Amino acid sequence: MVNQRLIPTAIEPRRVLAEWEAGYQTLRMHTTSQMPHAVAGALAMALGLPSTSVRVIAPEVGGGFGAKLNVYSDEILVGWAARQLERPVRWTETRREAATSTIQGRGWIGTATIVGTRDGEILGYEFDGLADMGAYTQNFTAAIPFLGLFVASGQYKMPTYWKIDCVATNTTTTDAYRGAGRPEAMYYIERIMDMYAREIGMDPADVRRKNFIPAEEFPVAMSPVGFAMDTGDYAMNLDALLETGAYDEMKAARDSARAEGRNVGIGLSTYVEVCGFAPAGLADLGFSWSAYGLPSAFNGNGLVRVNADATVTVTIGTGPSGQGHQTTWAQIVADRLGIPVDDIVVKHGDTGDSPMGIGTFGSRSAAVDGSAAYEAADRVRLKAAKLAAHLLEASEDDIVFADGAAHVAGSPESSVPWSEIAMVAYQPQKAPEGTDPGLESEVVFSPANATWPFGSHLAMVEVDAETGNVEILRYVAMDDCGNVINPMIVDGQVHGGLVQGIGQALFEEAIYDENGNLLTGSMVDYPIPTAGDVPMFELHRTTTPTDINPLGVKGIGEAGTIGSAQTIVNAVVDAVASYGVTHIDMPLRPRRVWEAMNAASGNGRA
Amino acid sequence: MYPREFDYVAPGTLDEALAVLASNPGAKIMSGGMSLIPMMKLRLLSPATVIDIGRIPGLDAIEDRGDHLAIGALVRHAQTASSDLVTTYAAALAQAAALTGDVQVRNRGTTVGAVAHADLAADTTAAVLALGATMVARSSAGTREIPASEFFVDTLTSALADDEILVELRVPKSGEGESSAYTKLGRRGGESDYAVAGVAAWVRKTNGSVSDARVALTGVGSKAMLSSGAMDAIIGSDGSEAAIAAAADRAADGISVLEDLYGSEEYKAHLAKVYVKRALGAALS
Ligand SMILES: Cc1cc2nc3c(=O)[nH]c(=O)nc-3n(C[C@H](O)[C@H](O)[C@H](O)COP(=O)(O)OP(=O)(O)OC[C@H]3O[C@@H](n4cnc5c(N)ncnc54)[C@H](O)[C@@H]3O)c2cc1C
Repeated sequence: MVNQRLIPTAIEPRRVLAEWEAGYQTLRMHTTSQMPHAVAGALAMALGLPSTSVRVIAPEVGGGFGAKLNVYSDEILVGWAARQLERPVRWTETRREAATSTIQGRGWIGTATIVGTRDGEILGYEFDGLADMGAYTQNFTAAIPFLGLFVASGQYKMPTYWKIDCVATNTTTTDAYRGAGRPEAMYYIERIMDMYAREIGMDPADVRRKNFIPAEEFPVAMSPVGFAMDTGDYAMNLDALLETGAYDEMKAARDSARAEGRNVGIGLSTYVEVCGFAPAGLADLGFSWSAYGLPSAFNGNGLVRVNADATVTVTIGTGPSGQGHQTTWAQIVADRLGIPVDDIVVKHGDTGDSPMGIGTFGSRSAAVDGSAAYEAADRVRLKAAKLAAHLLEASEDDIVFADGAAHVAGSPESSVPWSEIAMVAYQPQKAPEGTDPGLESEVVFSPANATWPFGSHLAMVEVDAETGNVEILRYVAMDDCGNVINPMIVDGQVHGGLVQGIGQALFEEAIYDENGNLLTGSMVDYPIPTAGDVPMFELHRTTTPTDINPLGVKGIGEAGTIGSAQTIVNAVVDAVASYGVTHIDMPLRPRRVWEAMNAASGNGRA
Repeated sequence: MYPREFDYVAPGTLDEALAVLASNPGAKIMSGGMSLIPMMKLRLLSPATVIDIGRIPGLDAIEDRGDHLAIGALVRHAQTASSDLVTTYAAALAQAAALTGDVQVRNRGTTVGAVAHADLAADTTAAVLALGATMVARSSAGTREIPASEFFVDTLTSALADDEILVELRVPKSGEGESSAYTKLGRRGGESDYAVAGVAAWVRKTNGSVSDARVALTGVGSKAMLSSGAMDAIIGSDGSEAAIAAAADRAADGISVLEDLYGSEEYKAHLAKVYVKRALGAALS
């Protein structure tokens, strides 16, 4: 089965603007990066400058999806040219350049095998794959298959043998693209799981449920492929999906549509995701930016300051590429301090402001940077409680924060606004003796483990018997990303992830000719889904918090892509199974589906 | 990519535009720019001069001229798709315009521009062929009428001369017993994007039989073209389901089908049949 190569297609192509500020002896660069501190480190090294002479700003980036999680030579060259010329230099990638010189994703071929009994007990799972690295390795190139390994046995408790050979080819480098290894790994398990269910004549939901890692085994000390997992309750989540999605009614509707000669099919997929990178131990395996002069562990960094006027500045060294981090981070801090969210400003992605920042990737910004912000806010809160207790002549244990003020628990009339607390904090003579001035804290949060979100998706599709065209009739997602900070942002992430997963399932494919020329370098030849090409999604959640971080949050940035491509393929294969079709490689363009139906049956039903 | 350097002129009158065109061989007309600009960015076209006709007044109307509709050079797809005149009297064209691209493309791209562009997978080209439209071309030497059946010469090549501007599209109004329809499979599945295969059908029914018909294919061969096989079979028939099926069977007769990333020859020939059946079915229903 092929998990085809994709071209990450952000709305904003990569672009870099650099200026040598002679007065400050500083190279200032704006770049569309998911990792500004790494770019700054690389620039300093390449240009022989001290870190104080490089400032990199990644402002609001118009989509990244992993493709901007690299230090590109363009960035170094633009910086070098600006320094040489002492003039601002700007470079903007064109769409065609984006298709050929920005990294691509996926590109696996693999064989999956399940050995199991006729009553649905899996005795073993084996995967033997080839991963196309492209011509050079970049930031995470060789790590992508490794990320697949993390989740190689999915939600299942089954002996797993998983092998992948990484091969170099004369094509564009592959690297992280939304999900990065995990959509690929999940695709193979969930396709073979469906084939197994069909082979033994068991409902696909029942086969899955029968082989889940049971809820009572969490925390899992060692998954079938060797990793410790935080929390999970897979059966509960699947049952919620089947109930909310009205699985039985859906099956009845499918069967009656079939009785009318329509090719309607249902697809199911579960998934487990690993994110919130990363535990420090992974640095030893090479997961680090040390090549850019950054600390080797992927920590979170949060700096929270209550200003003298009781506004709050939250500074984080990474930033959003459309996800809305500012909102989420501000909510975390607002909640902790009892200061209205409107009074909180998040400064992000500027190496001139922030001491450190690892990057936006691996669905880590809430779990890792968010936790750092949470803990920093907590320390500020503790200090403010001391000051408030002093001002209110109360015990600091009785201080609670809400509505922009500190209150004494139980006597609401006794309160002091944050502005007063802040004024005291910045005037040591008014503070209790021995208090350090200021009202800020910086926390480096080092997670003990990654987090392991999970979920299950269900789709119903119809295939046009005459053309092979696939129409998605329903799509129901039941995701579990632990605690949810902002439901709308979480829904937005799932939306985008599903659209990209559906894009892989139905539309997208990077095609090269035998000489390595890209044939799909323009958007005429590389169709991506638009709002009009996808159905209304039915999004639901179960909530299984993690204990890896104080927020109980896991991560949701990639779950949509990890769960969706195989859900669609499973549904399409179900729709045309009566023709004798057992598998169709993505993208399931009408032509492919029609050809598969024909090849299997000569276009009559088997 | 970036286009090569070019001069840009935006004349205020048609005569001025024609004069600039006459004195700048190789200049290109721009109406909505939806195809011209991408072609220039990909350097498939590198005109020395671009003549933007977008500011010329009076070209953006759809007029009822008794026996035909006149569609001006600056009428956008969105306008064509939603016009009462076009939906009533030239349904296939309204449908094809409605299924062209996305909202932005339909708001900016013109129906006449799409026809002039003559893409092999465009939607409106099939509709104007099936409707038997006439193209009105002007040059500084005068005005010329070109029947749709002679207009599409090859991929991205029309019968327009270098010094001509397509000023108007004249579409005969469907009258008593006449109707038309356009159906397609798009490159992104469903009806989305350029046609993998699209078919426009126009029929006239007299006394229970199909007395005349035109069936046009797009996306299948090197240009929009009439399917003489399907037309032969349906004309004179009773327009029944069986007659439609017989016409569909002959959809790709004598047509050299071109394969692309979206379809093999076999698949496209098959789609031609499916969509001839659907378009004739819709027109005759
Ligand atoms: C994203 C996208 C999606 C699209 N999807 C579809 C689709 O699904 N189906 C489809 O059919 N089309 C599709 N198109 C093409 C679109 O319909 C055409 O680009 C548009 O209609 C062309 O009209 P225009 O006014 O923009 O022409 P322009 O781009 O301005 O011109 C196109 C060509 O015609 C010539 N020309 C234009 N007007 C005249 C004139 N009056 N006289 C002489 N020559 C002229 C120009 O010189 C140029 O060579 C799509 C385009 C885009 C960008």
